[in-house]
Amino acid sequence: MNGFVQLIVLMLLLISAFFALWFKDLISSVISLAVFSLMAALEFYMLQAPDVAIAEAAIGAGLSTAIYIIAVRACSGVKRRQGGGPK
Amino acid sequence: MRPLSVVVRTGCDFFAWFMIVFGVNIVIHGYMTPGGGFQGGAIIATFLAFLLVAYGGKKVLSWVNEKIYEFLFEELGLICFFVLALLGIGNSFFYNFLASPLGAERTGIMSLISPAGTTVFMSIAVGIEVTGALSLVIIAMFRGIRQFAGPSLPEEEIGHDR
Amino acid sequence: MKKYIFIVSAIVLGALVCGALDNVHPYGDPGTALMDDYFLANSYKSLSTQNIVTSIVFDYRGFDTIGEAAVLFTAVCAVGALFREGRGRR
Repeated sequence: MNGFVQLIVLMLLLISAFFALWFKDLISSVISLAVFSLMAALEFYMLQAPDVAIAEAAIGAGLSTAIYIIAVRACSGVKRRQGGGPK
Repeated sequence: MRPLSVVVRTGCDFFAWFMIVFGVNIVIHGYMTPGGGFQGGAIIATFLAFLLVAYGGKKVLSWVNEKIYEFLFEELGLICFFVLALLGIGNSFFYNFLASPLGAERTGIMSLISPAGTTVFMSIAVGIEVTGALSLVIIAMFRGIRQFAGPSLPEEEIGHDR
Repeated sequence: MKKYIFIVSAIVLGALVCGALDNVHPYGDPGTALMDDYFLANSYKSLSTQNIVTSIVFDYRGFDTIGEAAVLFTAVCAVGALFREGRGRR
């Protein structure tokens, strides 16, 4: 049973990593990177390392997502002012 | 960054404070439950990112005082950490001079503190330091990108922010 | 041409990784080391910290925690130097 759950989590890890590279929209890419961090935290928890799991969930899924979103929004503001960009 | 809708802000009002309570719980119980200074400090620093996403930049930057994060958190945490490490210098650097072995008799002021010794206080010091450092990174990055944002974009609330 | 080089190197790298997976410990069966046994035996007895990881991070290996604090401090200094509001910027 544990091996089955672990297989699902590892598959989701691969899928979210693939979508982080595949999306053209940067916000969607950042969100799937957050999902990647969440799955990594689950995997750490299943491998009996709850300290690392808490650190990964707090920093990977919380803080770095916010920092990435701030940076992406700043760049989209510059693009809109210069008349370029996808949106 | 513009503020989000009133639903998101009300949810933020509810859950932001529980986040701080959870982070402090992880920091001060670091010696017996999973977690410690770094993890709890990172959770407390998520509070500021939470407010920044929900309320927009102008309001949050008028609320926070950067000097508090600079002095009270970052420097005080580092100073406490080094002083606690130096207090055991009679034996060795980072000697745990407050710890007592399992089942030992503790009298006087030693009975007030945890038998884990300096581990508890070092965990709290590192928690304070990490909170200040990560919050300062977020505040400085957000202050910095306002230079590139340009004069447009009125600060009104929107439902679905891109 | 570039695509073929990429495919061949990816196959070689994948084969190397699959070969290296033979030497990994099986799940739930960590290797033995003398330091691990010392920490597991003495951490709770002499320091009475229930969480052995915290006792390693803040007590046995406290010097590495100073390095971590220095890394954070350097990161804050770098961000502050990069994003400060200078006079000549605007």
